[in-house]
Amino acid sequence: MSLRQLLLRLPRYLGASGPLRGPLDTISSVISCRGQSSRSPAQWNQVVSEAEKIVGYPTSFMSLRCLLSDELCNIAMQVRKLVGTQHPLLTTVRGLIHDRQNNLQLRGLVVLLISKAAGPNSVNASCQNYDMVSGIYSCQRSLAEITELIHTALLVHRGIVNLNELQSSDGPLKDMQFGNKIAILSGDFLLANACNGLALLQNTKVVELLASALMDLVQGVYYENSTLAKENRITDDIGISTWKEQTFLSHGALLAKSCQAAMELAKHDAEVQDMAFQYGKHMAMSHKINSDLLPFIKEKTGDSLTFNLNSAPVVLHQEFLGRDLWIKQIREAQEKGRLDYAKLRETIKAGKGVTSAIDLCRYHGNKALEALESFPPSEARTALENIVFAMTRFS
Amino acid sequence: MASCWWPWRWRRGCSWRPAARSPGPNSAGRAALYAPRAAAVAAAATVAVARAQMSYCNLMKSLTSAFRNMYGVSRFHHTTPVACCFSETLSGEKYTDPFKIGWRDLKGLYEDIRKELFISTAELREMSEYHFDGKGKAFRPIIVVLMARACNIHHNNARNVQASQRAIALIAEMIHTASLVHDDIIDDASSRRGKHTVNKIWGEKKAVLAGDLILSAASIALARIGNTTVISILTQVIEDLVRGEFLQLGSKENENERFAHYLEKTFKKTASLIANSCKAVSVLGCPDPAVHEIAYQYGKNVGIAFQLIDDVLDFTSCSEQMGKPTSADLKLGLATGPVLFACQQFPEMNAMIMRRFGSPGDVDRALQYVLQSDGVQQTTYLAQRYCHKAVSEISKLRPSPERDALIQLSEMVLTRDK
Repeated sequence: MSLRQLLLRLPRYLGASGPLRGPLDTISSVISCRGQSSRSPAQWNQVVSEAEKIVGYPTSFMSLRCLLSDELCNIAMQVRKLVGTQHPLLTTVRGLIHDRQNNLQLRGLVVLLISKAAGPNSVNASCQNYDMVSGIYSCQRSLAEITELIHTALLVHRGIVNLNELQSSDGPLKDMQFGNKIAILSGDFLLANACNGLALLQNTKVVELLASALMDLVQGVYYENSTLAKENRITDDIGISTWKEQTFLSHGALLAKSCQAAMELAKHDAEVQDMAFQYGKHMAMSHKINSDLLPFIKEKTGDSLTFNLNSAPVVLHQEFLGRDLWIKQIREAQEKGRLDYAKLRETIKAGKGVTSAIDLCRYHGNKALEALESFPPSEARTALENIVFAMTRFS
Repeated sequence: MASCWWPWRWRRGCSWRPAARSPGPNSAGRAALYAPRAAAVAAAATVAVARAQMSYCNLMKSLTSAFRNMYGVSRFHHTTPVACCFSETLSGEKYTDPFKIGWRDLKGLYEDIRKELFISTAELREMSEYHFDGKGKAFRPIIVVLMARACNIHHNNARNVQASQRAIALIAEMIHTASLVHDDIIDDASSRRGKHTVNKIWGEKKAVLAGDLILSAASIALARIGNTTVISILTQVIEDLVRGEFLQLGSKENENERFAHYLEKTFKKTASLIANSCKAVSVLGCPDPAVHEIAYQYGKNVGIAFQLIDDVLDFTSCSEQMGKPTSADLKLGLATGPVLFACQQFPEMNAMIMRRFGSPGDVDRALQYVLQSDGVQQTTYLAQRYCHKAVSEISKLRPSPERDALIQLSEMVLTRDK
């Protein structure tokens, strides 16, 4: 069975393959950093498919080779048992399959592009023994896969539920326990594969970089969880600078350090590594802000009725308004304890939150482009620029 | 090491058939485990058989019933003179505690681990540090530093422990703890080492992250050692731990496969960490691959023995309040050594094993069967064989107090009661 066939079969096991409609919309909003710009998906797809041609093969099936094993059959069977339950793992897996069918493994793609954009190190000849395909070393391709593995592992681990917070609407306890079990094991399995992949790179600095990226990511997910928990109640009073720190941890660190590691593998010097880091960091930030803005920019209100109260426009809105006024607005938008998102959205759109978020997105986009300037002009560099443009276009 | 199979196969009276297995992490070691070595078995047994004029199995049975204290039985089998930990030896050497010897190098172990976990997120840090409170026995770090010294002395009489070797002790303990935190969520456990589990106090969502954090900290520490071979050795452990859990999810229909499956799971979940940590310190201390293999084999055999005794204790030790065995494994649906042996005497257990003791009354019935059978004795005997193998391996190293401590340690694995 080829990878493609395997992937095409999984949705049937899981009983769905459409847009995400999980009961836990917060989870879906977290993982909906899908790189869709506010423009048509078609334009985004074009950017991505151009980029894939440049790096030499479709990236959508990256990091799945490890899944062609007994463990995948085990996992698939176990996840199948979850169909009909409310466990978030199902939503996560559906989302992952949806991503792959639509070529959206963004991190890996960026790592490959930046590897190609930097090219081989002309000064240091020690890499001449590595094999290179389409301008990218095989160790760099491996690194791109590892990045996706780490990202996916934590995506899966985000979907664990607290058993003592379950309500009767969530279904039987044992289903949730079982779902937790599978989610932990699958996530651990992906992490173990990532660790093995890192060991094979035979570069201790790269291992240290990615391990510290994992540590950052875990902390970032921790912050996300603590804000998600307060979804229907008043959010924490965090300012935009704290938001930026936490978002760097949860979204920026992995890509930034991975880009840096890709440069290290090709033995580029510290300056080049830093530029790659900056590109990864700022691109990831603008990506996150872009997806945070989607509920406020899209004209059709049928989709994504809810939004994350810890997203950029909302945090900025709160910062402009001040805490007390914001709390008042939330109360006004609550009906019998349930938040009327449509009403709150209008309130936020009327304020300055959305426009500042757009500005912030463009700020990070510009920083990313600045970082790219130090790379020589090439197809790959252009593709990286196009990705930034797609993230920051809002008209 | 067919001698481990031996009492089981003898009982069944069938000819040896090697179990079909997928390639394991250390194929040489695994071949040693599963390939028949009739010569070695016969050598060990003929003496006893000739003397006793009865089948070896019956001899073992009479011995185990005559010598309630397992220590007595193991002394019968020992060929190397060794300081026993429960009395002074005939030579009058003062007995020393391997834990005391090992702890000399492990002062500040838990403080140093907590330094690796130093992050700004207060609650996450608290959760990650929770099990590193200094109250654990630090069994794995002790083995690691003792092995480090033994290898260093063997190589060039160096009487110190390198910083990188000590780091391995920390890393081993961190990897072990990370897997415990996740295992506790998977098993929905409420207590560990006498206190509440991380998942019960902070909830499952955060507990998963705590485990991931400890793992990432261990990986960073590992990378900082700067040795790519050592990184490869220890990342293998991380993979084995996960695969071991997966093995536990599945079960084998075929009786013959069950034992092999159980031993493989035991290796992956318990022994791999010890074996590979020992190997890692030997790589750091000594360039000789033969020494690496000795270290690995010691760790592996002690690790398997440790887990086998653990499985026995689940049936024989008493929970304080209940006054009866805890049977935690049965309640989780796991068929461990004593159960598998008991099943040979009581085939009606097969159905219970297949349904993972899920029906009401299964756990109690299974417990009764096990206690009536010789499952406990058989498993203990098997653990002894592994310990003897460990001892014979480590005895190949140059004599040193640490080498002798490791020998004692493997004895202590057999005789612990909790």
